[in-house]
Amino acid sequence: MRRPRLFTLLLAGSGLLLGSLILLPILALLLASSPAALLRLLGDPGVLMALWITLLSSLLALPLIFLLGLPAAYGLSRCRGRLRRALEILLELPMVMPPVVAGLALLLAFGRRGLLGGVLAHIGVRIPFTLMAVVLAILFVVTPFFVRRSSVLLEGVDRKLEDAALLLGASPLQSFWHVVLPVVRRGLFAEAIMAMAQGFGLFGAIILFAGNLPGRTQTLSLALYTAFESDPQQAFALGALLLLISLLLLAAVRVLQPREERT
Amino acid sequence: MKDLSCRLNYRLPHFALDLEMAVPPGITVLLGPNGAGKSSLLRLLAGLNRPAAGEIMLGERYLYDARQRIDLFPEQRRIGMLFQDLALFPHLDVGGNVGFGLKLRGLDRNERQRRIDPLLEKLGIERLVRRSVADLSGGERQKVALARTLATEPQLLLLDEPTAALDPAARHEIRPWLLGILAEMDIPTLLVSHDIEEAAFFRKRIAVMEQGRIVQKGSFHQLLRAPASRFIARFVGVNYISGEVSMDSGTPVFRSTGGATFLAPFDRVMPGSAYLTVYPWDIALHRQLPEGCPKNRIHGQVLDAIPLGDRVRLTLAAKDKLVAELSSRGYQALGEPQPGERLWAVFKAREARIENYSGVLPC
Repeated sequence: MRRPRLFTLLLAGSGLLLGSLILLPILALLLASSPAALLRLLGDPGVLMALWITLLSSLLALPLIFLLGLPAAYGLSRCRGRLRRALEILLELPMVMPPVVAGLALLLAFGRRGLLGGVLAHIGVRIPFTLMAVVLAILFVVTPFFVRRSSVLLEGVDRKLEDAALLLGASPLQSFWHVVLPVVRRGLFAEAIMAMAQGFGLFGAIILFAGNLPGRTQTLSLALYTAFESDPQQAFALGALLLLISLLLLAAVRVLQPREERT
Repeated sequence: MKDLSCRLNYRLPHFALDLEMAVPPGITVLLGPNGAGKSSLLRLLAGLNRPAAGEIMLGERYLYDARQRIDLFPEQRRIGMLFQDLALFPHLDVGGNVGFGLKLRGLDRNERQRRIDPLLEKLGIERLVRRSVADLSGGERQKVALARTLATEPQLLLLDEPTAALDPAARHEIRPWLLGILAEMDIPTLLVSHDIEEAAFFRKRIAVMEQGRIVQKGSFHQLLRAPASRFIARFVGVNYISGEVSMDSGTPVFRSTGGATFLAPFDRVMPGSAYLTVYPWDIALHRQLPEGCPKNRIHGQVLDAIPLGDRVRLTLAAKDKLVAELSSRGYQALGEPQPGERLWAVFKAREARIENYSGVLPC
């Protein structure tokens, strides 16, 4: 038997440390709460309202993310050279922007005194501090990530399949609709779930742009923040609830993704 | 008049594709080394890439004409293409793949069925119709891809190395089958290959492409008789020695680039750069230089001796490399020479052919 090499031990050690760094807080959060506390949460109308707003805003944002993001992702996956790098930088901009700054920027664009404020007021649309603002914040933060990941997914589609479709008489749109999308459908489904999960966790952008109004713009993350100041036990339970939702979504993504890679 | 005729210019990374060719109904094999531009030509014809200049005519239709600014989209050209890796749609079953083109034309399920069934039957794959394309064997995938292409009734068929992805056994099965299917169809068919057996099989019309140009056209037999380039000679297995014809005190003599001199029928050549070809089976091998002092002789080392059926192919390295082929019995009579041994290779002047290099390659 050979002794394990020093480097192997080093890798194992750092892995162990990282593992505990991830698992320890999760464990602490679950220990701070209990199934009974979670059940009690689900009887609380305020919490249910926040849960509803969380789900609703993410579900409303999802089609918009696909509508804006999918063509962009496909275009990006078919771009080469300088144009592509420029587009990627444009996409990375919201990704590196601190979420709070994103909220502020959105306010300055769509707020009453913002760049488009006058136009929007003229047609009688008020965005800040409404559900629309929550949706817009999710759209702003999540879409670039969605586009980035989906473009990788679409890039994996063999171009020959599209060529073959064209030669069989398909227009480029038909080839996209009848060949490209069906081929990556599993991956896209996983991306949809990923986008939902990201929307659930959004905090900074929403609190600045949409406010923290219970029953109107307060999502679970915001409710947790509010509860933390008044009722820490409630905050722990909310935290555990959000964590469980995330774990469920992660499991769903995992179930969908590997089979896509095989084809 | 269903011929394809084209004249194309297109820049490739290392050279320009520049050719003019006509393809009548029936199979024309497009032969050439890797990277000669064969696949690029197919993509240009299909409209997947755009040429810099030229025209493509299919029957009476212009598919592309730079001067008239005609450039049909691929889906308007009515060209069937069989891709090297087939490009079957992984999300559809066999029936879905074959019916794809008809579905796009708005045909309903019954009408599609009515058109597809006889085709599947003809290709012998009707039992596969509900199978996933992932579960098919190489040969079956090939047939499905061909069925998918034929279902749209193309007016030109482009086959990009249709048998390259198959194992040898499947290839031998598919080739006669493919020939049978294609022979029945009265449309121009361009079949890309770099396989000698394939070229010999579809031997009637072969166009050889090198560096973006058509360097020779003819039957397999014609290629064998007078290979126009080193690639073609090597491809059909003919010795090809380049050199120069010069006058040596009034009589012409061929001096190879390697420095050996040979005699050949010189009646058709001019002094200047030329190449000499000689069949491997016209070369005799000897341990000792035979009597009569033959003019065309090389003393060289055996590089390898490869048995091919009842024949043995020996490569001899001297100033020039020479391949000789002899019967197994002849090989035994010679004492089964092994690599490293030295032999004399001799051939008669009238068994060699000699041609000048022309400035412009024949087209």
